[in-house]
Amino acid sequence: MNSLTLNRVIDTAFKYVGFLCTLSALGILAIFIINIASEGLSRIDWQFITSLPSRKAEKAGILTAWTGTAWILGLTATISIPLGISAGIYLEEYGKKNRLASIIGVNIANLAGVPSIIYGLLGLEIFGRLFNLGGSLLAGSFTLALLILPIIIVATREALKAVPKTLREASFGLGATKWQTTWHQVLPAGAGGILTGIILALSRVVGETAPLIVIGALAYVPFVPSSPMDEFTVMPMQIFNWISRPQHEFLVNGAAAIIILLLITFIMNGIAIYLRNKWQKKINW
Amino acid sequence: MKIIEAIDVNAYYGDNHALTNINIEIKENTVTALIGPSGCGKSTFLRMLNRMNDYIEGFRNEGTLLIEGKDIYKKKVKLEDLRQHVGMVFQKPNPFPKSIYENVAYGLRIRGVKNEKEVEERVEKSLKKAVLWGEVKDSLDKSAYSLSGGQQQRLCIARTLAVKPSIILMDEPASALDPLSTAKIEELIAELREQYTIVIVTHNMHQASRVSDRTAFFYLGNLIEYGKTSDIFTNPKIKQTENYISGRFG
Amino acid sequence: MVTLDIELGSLKENLLEMLDLVKSQLAKSKKALEQVDIPLAQEVVEREKRVNALELLIDKDCENILALHNPVATDLRFVLSTIKIAGDLESIGDITKALARFIEKSGKKASRTFVDKFQIHSMIEICISMLTDMGEAIQKEDTHLAQKIAKKDSALNEINKNAPGVTSELIKANTDKIELILKLFTITRKLERVGDFIKNIGAEVVFHIEAKVLKHKKG
Repeated sequence: MNSLTLNRVIDTAFKYVGFLCTLSALGILAIFIINIASEGLSRIDWQFITSLPSRKAEKAGILTAWTGTAWILGLTATISIPLGISAGIYLEEYGKKNRLASIIGVNIANLAGVPSIIYGLLGLEIFGRLFNLGGSLLAGSFTLALLILPIIIVATREALKAVPKTLREASFGLGATKWQTTWHQVLPAGAGGILTGIILALSRVVGETAPLIVIGALAYVPFVPSSPMDEFTVMPMQIFNWISRPQHEFLVNGAAAIIILLLITFIMNGIAIYLRNKWQKKINW
Repeated sequence: MKIIEAIDVNAYYGDNHALTNINIEIKENTVTALIGPSGCGKSTFLRMLNRMNDYIEGFRNEGTLLIEGKDIYKKKVKLEDLRQHVGMVFQKPNPFPKSIYENVAYGLRIRGVKNEKEVEERVEKSLKKAVLWGEVKDSLDKSAYSLSGGQQQRLCIARTLAVKPSIILMDEPASALDPLSTAKIEELIAELREQYTIVIVTHNMHQASRVSDRTAFFYLGNLIEYGKTSDIFTNPKIKQTENYISGRFG
Repeated sequence: MVTLDIELGSLKENLLEMLDLVKSQLAKSKKALEQVDIPLAQEVVEREKRVNALELLIDKDCENILALHNPVATDLRFVLSTIKIAGDLESIGDITKALARFIEKSGKKASRTFVDKFQIHSMIEICISMLTDMGEAIQKEDTHLAQKIAKKDSALNEINKNAPGVTSELIKANTDKIELILKLFTITRKLERVGDFIKNIGAEVVFHIEAKVLKHKKG
């Protein structure tokens, strides 16, 4: 056949291939969700959410796990967000754009790809031992804050980079200082991108287990943490703990907890997408 | 009274010698057009007048640039004060992603005007001067992006007028607009001349001939000819100028 | 108001001022001739400088408008016709100056009978009335009026046709005044040309308003 027909064939063929790929990906996801849901949906009730863990599967609940996750989320956010955004603003708006700056930029981006367990080791040595924070929420938060700091910095820089130069020029042209321009124009304009980045970073925090294990978060914590120095556990760890037990009831508990964890993740991602869309509508350069 | 004076001004972007020995005097309440082919240095010179070139890596300058008698490149000059004095309107309208009202009020707020009533008055006055008040007075809190291109540019002009500059720089203000909006902007320039000194960079020679009192022709970083617009367009002294304005440039 | 409109308005004012000036020059010359008023004739000669100055001003303004504003259509035709009309008015001004010069030098000698035989006063009157009408036509942009004036030019031509006959008749009867008679004959010729110039002005007005070219047409 000639090249014209060949092109048409390839075109049609790809349409089907692409559709099949999408179908399979969605299919796998559907299978996973249906599987989990069928296993654990029935177990979810008010008692499950508000009970402490217990040796008896029917009595065990995820109270300490999700309160631990909430604490970790809160503390990590408090530590990493201001730090990350400020660093991102400085590097993008204030720093000189020379070789040193680009080396720093590359290294920060690389840090985002470092295996999280390495952060765990770092956290254990510095926060756990040096600062003597042990296996507390504070140690865990500092460690995870370090983990997601590069992500926030990069997200902030990208969001600020996307703000067109003309906006800054207009502000400078009116006699604004660099800080006024950054605070009143650039940051609000880039807020959507920054927020999206933060939420995605935080949803990563929700799922991180390895570094927390390394710094000493316990698997079995029968109390709700009430201060940053308390010991803790988080949802993924609780899930891992239950799934390692032989009893089938604990497996069901695990499945239920996974559903809750998925829900949290989906909600956070959903918020990120919603914010991104809302922001996209407001700004149209 | 000369309000802008350049004495042996040179400008460089790294190794690129962008402006060579520019000497020019611009009088108060005149409209001066800077014309010339792309890359001739006219925008560079314009942006030196409010030091917008400071943000470009590798930019440096020599010579003296006086505005109202003061050397604006001296260390002690506050950039914010200079720019309140010397306003700028850009090529592509660039309103802030805020309401129409807040766009015009921005310049006032960052300069410390706290009295809300004063802000309101000055916003209205500026929008009237920019011949936009009638079209937007009932929708001041709508987003600036809901305006057409021509209206957005007039909004940018109002925004600049609000901080009460004495000089207004315009960098090809109508090049992104349709002919009708362009005509409105040109009419506006003619009106503004009475209170302000205007320097306008334009690619469009007809625009230069229509709106300006004096014209400066730049080529390859040099100021080739500067004089009354009517003289430049009826009998330029230098052949290069004549070639350019008659469209015979290569 | 667009800047171009302001410029065109000012140009029209200057043109009408020039026309009025030339008209008053003609009127003064007529009076000087009638009353043998030599100082008045000298005044007309001096005033001619002002006519020339106005022509130069109008030329420069037209040049500027064309260069700076690129007028098109009616505006363009207005500028082009104004340049020509100013030129015609200047030529009329020259003729008026020549008449005034004649009065200066030979006014006392020119006998009233001779002047009347050549109907010079009538000719000047016709020219003045033609100019008055033309001024109105330009002011009101009235092409009908502009074309009606052509009829008055015919009257001038009639008088002019008789001139050679009158000349030879007068020369036969007054052989000692041949030079004076010939000078008066020249004046009739010149006044006839004034009529032609005004007719041209009319054609320019029609060109401006209706974009019709009337010159070089028969009739």
